[in-house]
Amino acid sequence: MSAVITAEGLTMRFRRPVKRPGLAGSLKHLVHPEYTWATAVADVNLSIEPGESVAYVGPNGAGKSTTIKLLCGILIPSAGRVEVCGLQPHRNRQRNAANISVVFGQRTQLWWDIPVIESLRLLGDIYSVPATEYQRNLTEMVDVLDLAPLLPVPVRQLSLGQRMRCDLAAALIHSPRVLFLDEPTIGLDVAVKAKLRELVGRMVRERGLTLMLTSHDVGDIEQLCPRLVMLDAGRVVYDGRYAELSRRFAWETKITASSAVPLDGHPELAVAQIPGVTRTDRPDGTTLRVWFDNRVATCGTVVAGIVDQFRISDLAVDEGAAEDVIRRLYSGDLEYSTEEPA
Amino acid sequence: MTTTTPSAGQRTRPWPRYLSIAQVSLQDAVAYRVSTIIGIGVAFLWVLILYFLWRAAYARAPLTAGYTWPEMRTYVVLAFGINALVGWRVGSLMMATVRTGDVVFDYVRPLNYCFAQLFRACGYCLVEGLVSLAMCLLVGFAFLHIAAPASPADALLFAVSLLLGVLTKALFVFLVSLLAFWTLSGLGLMWAQQAVIQVFSGTIVPLALMPDWLRTLAAILPLRGIVATPLTLYLGKADPPTALGLLALQAGWVAALLLLANVAWRRAFDVAEIQGG
Repeated sequence: MSAVITAEGLTMRFRRPVKRPGLAGSLKHLVHPEYTWATAVADVNLSIEPGESVAYVGPNGAGKSTTIKLLCGILIPSAGRVEVCGLQPHRNRQRNAANISVVFGQRTQLWWDIPVIESLRLLGDIYSVPATEYQRNLTEMVDVLDLAPLLPVPVRQLSLGQRMRCDLAAALIHSPRVLFLDEPTIGLDVAVKAKLRELVGRMVRERGLTLMLTSHDVGDIEQLCPRLVMLDAGRVVYDGRYAELSRRFAWETKITASSAVPLDGHPELAVAQIPGVTRTDRPDGTTLRVWFDNRVATCGTVVAGIVDQFRISDLAVDEGAAEDVIRRLYSGDLEYSTEEPA
Repeated sequence: MTTTTPSAGQRTRPWPRYLSIAQVSLQDAVAYRVSTIIGIGVAFLWVLILYFLWRAAYARAPLTAGYTWPEMRTYVVLAFGINALVGWRVGSLMMATVRTGDVVFDYVRPLNYCFAQLFRACGYCLVEGLVSLAMCLLVGFAFLHIAAPASPADALLFAVSLLLGVLTKALFVFLVSLLAFWTLSGLGLMWAQQAVIQVFSGTIVPLALMPDWLRTLAAILPLRGIVATPLTLYLGKADPPTALGLLALQAGWVAALLLLANVAWRRAFDVAEIQGG
């Protein structure tokens, strides 16, 4: 099977003007402009198969949207190669456009002052969608997204959630092969999010749509994307299954053990001798916290070691859920450079 | 709803894409009919001001640069109506999408950006332009004593020239608006463009009244094709060979501008920095 999206050494650099503050700074820039170069995307390699769903995540400013724009042909790469459905997007913008679709959560592609149905009809015409296909797509989307009451309304009168439902319909009306969603659920309530996910999931399952999604919403990722690509400062730091994320990065497990009575002596010193334990502390008189490397020790051996010291009344094991892992990776709590577990 | 277009359910095949764009922009113009009518009314004030200025001037001299008073009043009234056929809306929409970054959607549609904007201009032209022209003709014939075309042949030449003129202005506005891809802000461009068009198209004064250097320049530039050339033909002030020469110049410029516009928008797309996340 050949990949539908390929990127090899994809790099994007931007020139940014350096302006000193104030009027003097502006004037100086006018006479003698200074620039710095910023790298938004650095040497990204990607290969996405037809029908795959990939979440593209990373902290703000990591280069997610820039990558999407490169894959859509909006930006021209500074270096590297990119191919979508066998075309180089920025060299074949019009032909590439027929294969893809993109939704930007913060923008709308609908015409502001005319009824939603007219925008959809115009998009159908722009992509020369045959009437039967148009009707089939429209019926399905009206059904899943509950669009019927919105169709005769001009876009400017819609709420954000209503508008995003219409925007997703607009993006899918021409049955694209590849769908890019750039933070599609930003600012939406749970019911609207569920509707959007339902339609996208259905298109992926039933029509073989290839999906690439950037989102800060773990629900989007969990429900739609088995594969996750994580970006930091323009570089890919993880490319694998979402479910593997915690095993890959969260090799440290935390155990919190409490005793019914105040602890005698220094049980933490003994526990610290157990192989694999990395650190321990006592936040209060009855509680002991232990962190261990789950690649070396198991939960069982560590708990057994604690039981040797005192009678446990309450026990909590914190393995680090994927969501938690993402949060800790973003905040710098976890290292991206962690070795593959043995 | 304000339109009578068939709903999608009744259609058996998609419309040609550019025609569909023109139709939607026509609907858009109708949605803004109040502001459209106010805009046209204000523009019409200018017609009246110029009309009475010229009337005062002609009260002393019955012939100015080869124009009699009946010819001049016809010129003044029609010049504004013709110049208003293509308005500012497409240009300002283009500039707005560049400023906000919504221009990304123009990158991901299977459309020639130039043709899409031209057909959009056609849609607006049908509403705004024709209303404005109709108003000029109505008031002009009823109260300001403007003349009919000099002859049926002149009327035909005028019609062809008018069509080329509409294309010329739409292309010129498109090219100026493209500059926003480099400058990012468009207000200055809009003002400069208005002034340049009004002078060089001959909307404010006919080319014949300009000082020599300006007239020579205006005579070869494409903008005369917007107003001055159609009206010269309307008034029958060009003999047949000259008339054909003027039409050829207009057509040549339209072809050149079309070519330039198609090179320019691809360049503009390549240099653009997209605003916003």
